[in-house]
Amino acid sequence: MEQIINLLINGISTGMLIFLLAAGLTLIFGLMDVLNFAHGGFFAWGAYCGVWFYSVTGSFMLSIVFAMAVGLILGAFTEKVIIKPVYGNHIMQILITLGLMLVLTEMLKVFWGPNQLSSTAPEYLSGSWQIGNVIIIKYRAFIIFVGLLVFGIVQFILKKTRIGLIVRAGVMNKEMVQALGINIKRVFMYVFMVGSAMAALGGAMLGPYTGSIYAEMGLEFAILAFIVVVIGGMGSFTGSLFAALLVGLNQSFLAYYFSELSLAANMLLMLVVLIFRPQGLFSVRG
Amino acid sequence: MMKTLLKVDSIETYIGHYHILHDISFEVHQSEVVVLLGRNGAGKTTTLRSIMGLNPPSSGAITFKDQNIHGLPTYKIANLGIGYVPEDQGIFNYLTVEENMRVAMKKQDAAHEERLEWVLGLFPDLKKFWKKEGGHLSGGQKQMLSIARAYVNENELLLIDEPSKGLAPIIVEKVMESILEMKKTTTIVLVEQNFMMASRIGDRFYIIDDGKIAFSGSMKQLNEDDQLKKKYLGIA
Amino acid sequence: MKIKNISNWSILLVGVLLCFVPFVTNETGLLIMMTNIFIFAIFAMSYDLLLGFTGIVSFGHAMFFGLGAYSTAIFMKRVEPTMEWFFISVLVGIVLSLIVSIIVGVLTLRLKSHFYAMLTLAVASLFLVVAEKWRHLTVGNDGFTFRVPDVLKDRPTFYIICLVLMIGIFFLLKRFINSPLGRVLMAIRENENRVESLGFVPLYYKVTATVVAGVTASLAGSLFTVVLRYINTSVFTMDITLNALLMTIIGGVGTLIGPMIGAGLIEFAQEWITELADVHPIFERWIIFFGILYILAVIFFPTGIVGTVNKWIAKAKSKRIEKLTPKDEKMAG
Repeated sequence: MEQIINLLINGISTGMLIFLLAAGLTLIFGLMDVLNFAHGGFFAWGAYCGVWFYSVTGSFMLSIVFAMAVGLILGAFTEKVIIKPVYGNHIMQILITLGLMLVLTEMLKVFWGPNQLSSTAPEYLSGSWQIGNVIIIKYRAFIIFVGLLVFGIVQFILKKTRIGLIVRAGVMNKEMVQALGINIKRVFMYVFMVGSAMAALGGAMLGPYTGSIYAEMGLEFAILAFIVVVIGGMGSFTGSLFAALLVGLNQSFLAYYFSELSLAANMLLMLVVLIFRPQGLFSVRG
Repeated sequence: MMKTLLKVDSIETYIGHYHILHDISFEVHQSEVVVLLGRNGAGKTTTLRSIMGLNPPSSGAITFKDQNIHGLPTYKIANLGIGYVPEDQGIFNYLTVEENMRVAMKKQDAAHEERLEWVLGLFPDLKKFWKKEGGHLSGGQKQMLSIARAYVNENELLLIDEPSKGLAPIIVEKVMESILEMKKTTTIVLVEQNFMMASRIGDRFYIIDDGKIAFSGSMKQLNEDDQLKKKYLGIA
Repeated sequence: MKIKNISNWSILLVGVLLCFVPFVTNETGLLIMMTNIFIFAIFAMSYDLLLGFTGIVSFGHAMFFGLGAYSTAIFMKRVEPTMEWFFISVLVGIVLSLIVSIIVGVLTLRLKSHFYAMLTLAVASLFLVVAEKWRHLTVGNDGFTFRVPDVLKDRPTFYIICLVLMIGIFFLLKRFINSPLGRVLMAIRENENRVESLGFVPLYYKVTATVVAGVTASLAGSLFTVVLRYINTSVFTMDITLNALLMTIIGGVGTLIGPMIGAGLIEFAQEWITELADVHPIFERWIIFFGILYILAVIFFPTGIVGTVNKWIAKAKSKRIEKLTPKDEKMAG
């Protein structure tokens, strides 16, 4: 029983990290019809910048904020320089963002070397609580908390603010939003930046979770994020949370019982969704 | 009184490689209703889209209130005072009627609220379904919503694309009445295939055939010319 | 896209010239590198078939390469390193690639390009994971060595074999592209909806393109392992797919010659830059240069080297015609 709770918490926290990565991706795709293959690169940069800033300043919270700032900047740069020139041409977008991913990953190795970097959680987040026979690792609870917080904030913005309304409308029908006099291109920029910052946040939080980070983690997590976006539905924010938790739990339980199967199981899930409900479980595309 | 509000001057528009509009020119004067008629695929929708900047013309000029608008981004054109009701209504399906309207309203102040109330007076059904999701509305209600949304911003020019399409005659009546009411305070370019509706609302007409202007004149003329009607509109 | 006769002859000429290389030099290093260039040229051409001619972006092309590679390696190791078994191993790789490409293709090609790209990425990484875990068959990341038939052991001989295969496959793919089937593929690249409304079922054609590309890639993979007589899971990695991508884009997408040139360029550069790495460590991250070059290419030179050269030639020709045509003729034109 304790084991199951453990796996559950494990799965949910992994799911939260994937959610942070996938949520940005799904909103960006839903709104802008852009699939950013460099999204995983923001994740990796968030992780490295977080670790670096933490080692320099000793403040974990600040390092997370720093990582998000890096995400915002990378997002702004990418949208303006990389995506804009090829806007509308799907094939070019895919190719060029992959190129960016390559460069981002290699630049990490230039700055921090090709080896793994170790990453530890701060004192107040290390260790665990014991409730009866169940051991709850503090850091995982922290991840779940942050994940829910981010979900809550973004959901609030989407449902209760004007810009959120515009984003939701834009996901359904970009042209109409423009015809109503709204400069949707500027909104694109904001969404892209926020999405990238979320990815960086996810990366920064991952470090202490797994204990070490490496340049290729961007691509590996990006694949999981893609699977989540497909299962959850392109453009559905709630869908990405649900699907991320599903994938996280899937990973957690299967990794424990049959470690070889975890990626395969998630892929199978994605293939099943693609065959029977290709728009995802929670589709919102108008 | 005959101030020219919109002038389209020899525009050519392409969609990809396809040359859709050839040398289209026409004028719209303040307070009138100009109807664009023609068969399916003639280029009527593309003309409206060209004006809105959604399919910008590759050559030629479009002026609105003496200002060049061709080449401007769509949102800027819309903000100059042009409202657009597309052929598929462009309703945000997962947003409520209220949210659909609010997207169109730039500011949420008292003056805008007043205007909203007044517009809803023209389309009382919308108030009834205020919290209903756009996708769940009936065809006629969607059309009303789309028109109301374009009208709530005090636009001086409305481009309306086939509002009667797919609607039952009794609903078409309702839509016509709303448009006639709006005609009192705004100028309208109407694309229609429903000749009955066009002839009752329109002041002047242009017939577009194969991407070119084939004929133009006053609605009265067209009503009396059966040959013309048969040739270009297939009406016996 | 017409590839004129003059280029056909020049390819043959270059091919013949290259045949002399092993007689002129004894440097095995050079021979190995050139052999690799030929093998990667085959791989890149197969990729160009998808990207340049059909408009399909695949991020999983390495899986076919890896299937061919492992098929040959395992047969050579487990059975006997003879030419008969070599052919069988290549065939097995081809059949496996055929099956995989059909399954993946039918399931996913009906979706938008983004989906397909993501999916192929995911499926390829699945192959990688399987290869790493199934140590019993593949010895995972450590890999294993094996012997090859004596005929293939001789470097100059294998060099000629790969060269001939490369030229042969180039002409075969050219014929394929210029066939009615190939023309439909190019039409799909331009406007899939239009093709559908003309009565074709794009899915069948896209799957066919994937199969042809996959099978060719598998052959390249089989040849690849013979060079080093060693294999490990690196043949399934994203790096391999990226190589094909870089070679195709930088060389010139949609030209078939482009990928060959791209393969040569990138292999040479890889060698040269890794040598420079001894001088200064920044060169170890040579891939950044290519990444940036690649991004610039996509934005500014989307047709790659060959495409840009073609444009210059076309421009020069039209300028010449302008000069020769008197003004009156142009007016009457």
